Amino acid sequence: MKWYSKMSRRIGNSLRRLHLDPSLLVVFVLLVIVLIAGFALSDRFGTVRNLMNVLEQSAALGFVSLGQSLVVLVGGIDLSVGAVVTASAVLMAAVVDSNPELMIPIIIVVLAFGTLIGYLNGYLTLKTGVHPLIVTIGTASVLNGLVLLYTLQPTGGVPFWFEEFAYGRIGPLPIAGVIMLICFAAVWYLLKYTTLGRSIYAVGGDEEAARLTGINSKRTSLFAYSACGFFVALAGAYYVSRTGVGDPRLGEPITLASITPVIVGGLLLGGGKGNVLGTLLGVFLISLLNNLLNYMNISTFIQWVVQGLIILFAVSIYASKVKKL
Amino acid sequence: MSSQTIEFFTHSYLKRFALPLSMIALAVLATILQPAFLAPKNLQDIFTQAAPLGIVVLGQAFVVLVRGLDLSVASLMATVAVIATAFNATSNAAIPVIFAVAIGFSALVGFTNGILVTKRNVSPFLATLAMMIVLQGLRFYYTQGAPAGSLPDGFRFLGTGRIGGIPVGLIGFLCLFTLLGWLLHKSEFGRKVYITGGNPISATLCGINSDRIIILCYVICSVMSGIAGLFLVGFVGTVDNWVGRGYELDSIVAVVIGGIALSGGVGTIWGAALGALILVLLFNIVIILGLPVQAQLIIKGVIIIFAAAMFVRVQKV
Repeated sequence: MKWYSKMSRRIGNSLRRLHLDPSLLVVFVLLVIVLIAGFALSDRFGTVRNLMNVLEQSAALGFVSLGQSLVVLVGGIDLSVGAVVTASAVLMAAVVDSNPELMIPIIIVVLAFGTLIGYLNGYLTLKTGVHPLIVTIGTASVLNGLVLLYTLQPTGGVPFWFEEFAYGRIGPLPIAGVIMLICFAAVWYLLKYTTLGRSIYAVGGDEEAARLTGINSKRTSLFAYSACGFFVALAGAYYVSRTGVGDPRLGEPITLASITPVIVGGLLLGGGKGNVLGTLLGVFLISLLNNLLNYMNISTFIQWVVQGLIILFAVSIYASKVKKL
Repeated sequence: MSSQTIEFFTHSYLKRFALPLSMIALAVLATILQPAFLAPKNLQDIFTQAAPLGIVVLGQAFVVLVRGLDLSVASLMATVAVIATAFNATSNAAIPVIFAVAIGFSALVGFTNGILVTKRNVSPFLATLAMMIVLQGLRFYYTQGAPAGSLPDGFRFLGTGRIGGIPVGLIGFLCLFTLLGWLLHKSEFGRKVYITGGNPISATLCGINSDRIIILCYVICSVMSGIAGLFLVGFVGTVDNWVGRGYELDSIVAVVIGGIALSGGVGTIWGAALGALILVLLFNIVIILGLPVQAQLIIKGVIIIFAAAMFVRVQKV
């Protein structure tokens, strides 16, 4: 184990000298390996059509992981994303079912709802001083309870045209995938070039120090949590558009799935380090890997094992001296 | 909360007795709302249900005390259940063998978690999350999604049997509680757990091998989950791939209600046990009041945020 950590540290140092983010490189190399394996092992994998399908399907994971990234960057974690996806999907499908003319307003309402829940998570975390892990388990539990009280079966429906969000294409490009990429680009720009974005890194790195330099750390955290809620609600809308119904059990696997790309993309749990570009590559990595394993007729069960091993591989490469969370 | 209220709650007696008092208050409230609460049958049900969760919580407490977190407990419980049925044993003579294999496997899982957290410096959240996913994948691959196999009759006794009216699960829980309580509060190992949890660096400077303590805590947690899995599969009677689903979060909730700080080094085994009992009481109250089961989720969510906020307040003062 010793030589292994020494080697990974040495590689990391030399990359830093070349001004390359070592964490991005790891996920990039993994992605290239999957792509090469894909081209070699399956002749259908490499087609433009398949890659566009993967881009289309990765939108949901992309939205939730993007939100999760923001919360992780300020040093938090959001375990309520699955519940928020479910709640916004059910809310949307249930309301629109009998009033198709409300489609546009309800999109806005659902996004506002997600933002509000995110804000609430952030507010409770800051106000009570309780670890975000616990707070978000709590809000998730309440939301799941409310949704399941309302319905136990998939419910509601949406007008046909709304399916364009999930299935529509602009030329060869899937609309959902493009929207996801635009969101990533916007957040990337925000984090890199705006005061708010820099504050997010500062607060995640050391909240007290950030506060002393005059950053309104509470407002920064609240922004991150609210934005997370917004993107998660967007994922909920995507699911409704894809399946046409609001499924009360939809969100269960999403919560933990949203964390994998964030970690594989090199964001540090505990905050202040990483880049949403890494998250995006992480999303592509997981989506392409699952797609490839599907083509190779490898069962979902083994896909889980592979996913777990990738998390372990990635985190033990990134393993830093500072342990947080 | 006003400063007077805080003072009231932080008064040493109240601080010590807050948990038992709130549990008694809950029980009284339940009896007032629904006298059937005190029926022996209902009490037996409560304890039968509390036993597996309680056992997991005891283990989780050790991990949380050394600043960790174990998300793999539920997945391990189900995996152990699958292992137990894989023997397809019919005679009760196989029970010790099943126990030995299950506990050995659990210890191995805990050891791996501990190694990842200490030697590879992986955050506990991620190490155990990955372990959870890996175990889940292996389990489903082995069972192909449809677990089969059978258990010796003796297992049903573990889960649902009674000795003199006392559920066997409760007796098992009390034995483990005594054992772990002694380990945590009376043994040298226990002191080292608190020192390591309070500050791993100063523990190392004191000459404590903190890595070893942390690894042992993960092993304890996993072994407890394995045992709980066996009790639970005995209670349910048949195996499925999701035995114990939700226990990872429930056990953390119970630990937090029990006043064990996620930041490590603070809390007692009594707190853990009472936390589990309070959680099961709340679930039971929802049922006997005839509220829909989903209300459990809502109440659990509100209680956990509230309880955690209380303890943060109390510890700050």
